[in-house]
Amino acid sequence: MKPIGIWGWVATAILFVLLLLAPQLAPRLHLALTICTDVLLFAIAAMAVNLLLGYTGVLPFGNAAFFGLGAYGAGLSIQNFHVGFITSLVIGTLAGVVGAVLIGPFLLRRRGIYFALLMIAFGQVFYFIAYRFTNITGGEDGMNFTRPPLEGLGIHLQDAGFYYAILLIFTLVVVGFWLLVRSPFGRTLVAIKQNEVRARYLGLNTDRFIFVALMISAAIEGLAGACYGLSIMFAYPLLLDWHQSGDIVLMTILGGAGTIFGPLVGAIIYVIGEDILSTALPWWQIPLGALFVACVLGFPKGLLGTALDLLPGRKNRIEPGHDLDFAAPIIADRETTR
Amino acid sequence: MSDLLLEAKGVGKRFGGVHAVEDVSLRVYAGSINAIIGPNGAGKTTFFNTLSGFYFPDAGSVSFTGADVTRAPSYDRVRMGMGRTFQTSSVFPELTVYENLAVGIESADNLSFRFRTLSRAQRATLDQKVDRLLGFVGLGAVAHRPLAELAHGSQRLCEIAMSLSTEPKLVLLDEPMAGLAQAETSRVVSVIRNLHAELGLTVLFVEHNMRVVLSLAQQITVLDRGRVLATGTPTEISANAEVREAYIGKEVIEHV
Ligand SMILES: Nc1ncnc2c1ncn2[C@@H]1O[C@H](COP(=O)(O)OP(=O)(O)OP(=O)(O)O)[C@@H](O)[C@H]1O
Ligand SMILES: [Mg+2]
Repeated sequence: MKPIGIWGWVATAILFVLLLLAPQLAPRLHLALTICTDVLLFAIAAMAVNLLLGYTGVLPFGNAAFFGLGAYGAGLSIQNFHVGFITSLVIGTLAGVVGAVLIGPFLLRRRGIYFALLMIAFGQVFYFIAYRFTNITGGEDGMNFTRPPLEGLGIHLQDAGFYYAILLIFTLVVVGFWLLVRSPFGRTLVAIKQNEVRARYLGLNTDRFIFVALMISAAIEGLAGACYGLSIMFAYPLLLDWHQSGDIVLMTILGGAGTIFGPLVGAIIYVIGEDILSTALPWWQIPLGALFVACVLGFPKGLLGTALDLLPGRKNRIEPGHDLDFAAPIIADRETTR
Repeated sequence: MSDLLLEAKGVGKRFGGVHAVEDVSLRVYAGSINAIIGPNGAGKTTFFNTLSGFYFPDAGSVSFTGADVTRAPSYDRVRMGMGRTFQTSSVFPELTVYENLAVGIESADNLSFRFRTLSRAQRATLDQKVDRLLGFVGLGAVAHRPLAELAHGSQRLCEIAMSLSTEPKLVLLDEPMAGLAQAETSRVVSVIRNLHAELGLTVLFVEHNMRVVLSLAQQITVLDRGRVLATGTPTEISANAEVREAYIGKEVIEHV
């Protein structure tokens, strides 16, 4: 992986100072603190997408299934078993993993657009289950629940307290993600993304690596979904829907797939952009859509990925266009494998 | 004769109506250098692909180190000790030379599923193994450059080093000198010699350049239109009238 250098550390430190000061800064910028919380939540979800899209080279276009499962997992465990704050997050995380274990085996042999479409289809199955099983999930109306107190301390986290809890989770995910992509496993995922056939000819059963990456991604996304559920104290079927998946994929690509903080940059632009534009303009999706198109055409590596390439000493890296191969074929040596 | 390392028996592979490979048999003994020659479209690459598991043959069988691998996935064959390169370089273009080799070394050392960074000792072992491979192909100076920035010849050398990174017994090289300049060609030739002489590996390679084939290989198999035309030592092959007529006649004039 690219070393981040002294300026990378400085920028990261400044970023975290700003995030720590957000409860003080947000009112001066006329932003609600819940918007800052949403930014962090969706940044976590986008990091889950980034692991697959930016580091493994598969297209998780049905990722919101894990996000929604996280929200429902947290909500149902609170409603039915009166679990505490941390337990509900753990259950939401596990709900995401269970989703990945269920659909993973069907996705494994697919690549490129086939993987993406099949994943959307499976995601919609979860959507319809949540929509149909009204007595458990509340169906179309969704389900309300309360934010439970923190285990042991009995504290109800609210406003800035809740924001800081989410910031702590975000920080842990960033550190874990950073360690993961620098590990041999992370390096192997990047290798699979760049040339799966070669990876197989280095003795790697690539399907197994993609499956494990999918599970890790689903855990992160389930966690993000559980946090979101606790944030709005509500879970509803559209959280599982492919529109939701699309939003998270957009954030990832906008910010820069394949970079650690790209998802955060994407979430900041998307969530705050939506908040500002949607109150000012009824057709707010259009400028955001235009920005996205401009990004894909002009900066396929996203805003952060492009900015990093402009730093001194990084100019001559990597041609663009390598990153998003939407029509990558099913790799050749599986044609006759099964 | 020493041990039989790789054996193909009556291998056939069709693409639609095209018989790319038909009833091809080959024996590769441990410690030998073997070449496959034949005109364009003779089926050399397709045959290589059936040996290495890129395709499974429609007919015949392949065994490696005594085990039947006809339908074994590619990564299993690699774990059994088979390495290969491709006719058009197949590398990780955005990773550095070091990282390209590290992926294979970590795979062979069963470290690829490690979710934390390497320990100091593991890192030292990895560095040492990378250095050995880099020294072997002479790419030490560009260890930390991404492959995409390197010249074609260096990419080919890196790919050979990658095929060695999994500690194979047998390496399959598909036209390792294709598209290389004269100086680069002689470097690859000496690398192949050293694979055999220094590392004691068994080599099977495809090559068009007759001079290279005749000087390197101990055993040559000539393919033509998917079938074996002749098999033998360089002396036998260059004396074979059928081969001269079908293949060498044109090529020798071209290359020698
Ligand atoms: N994937 C494929 N699909 C269809 N036909 C193929 C495929 N691969 C090879 N062929 C055909 O099989 C025949 C043998 O091709 P192959 O690539 O094995 O030849 P080769 O001896 O390696 O040639 P060259 O010297 O040009 O590399 C050719 O007629 C080729 O067109
Ligand atoms: Mg060929």
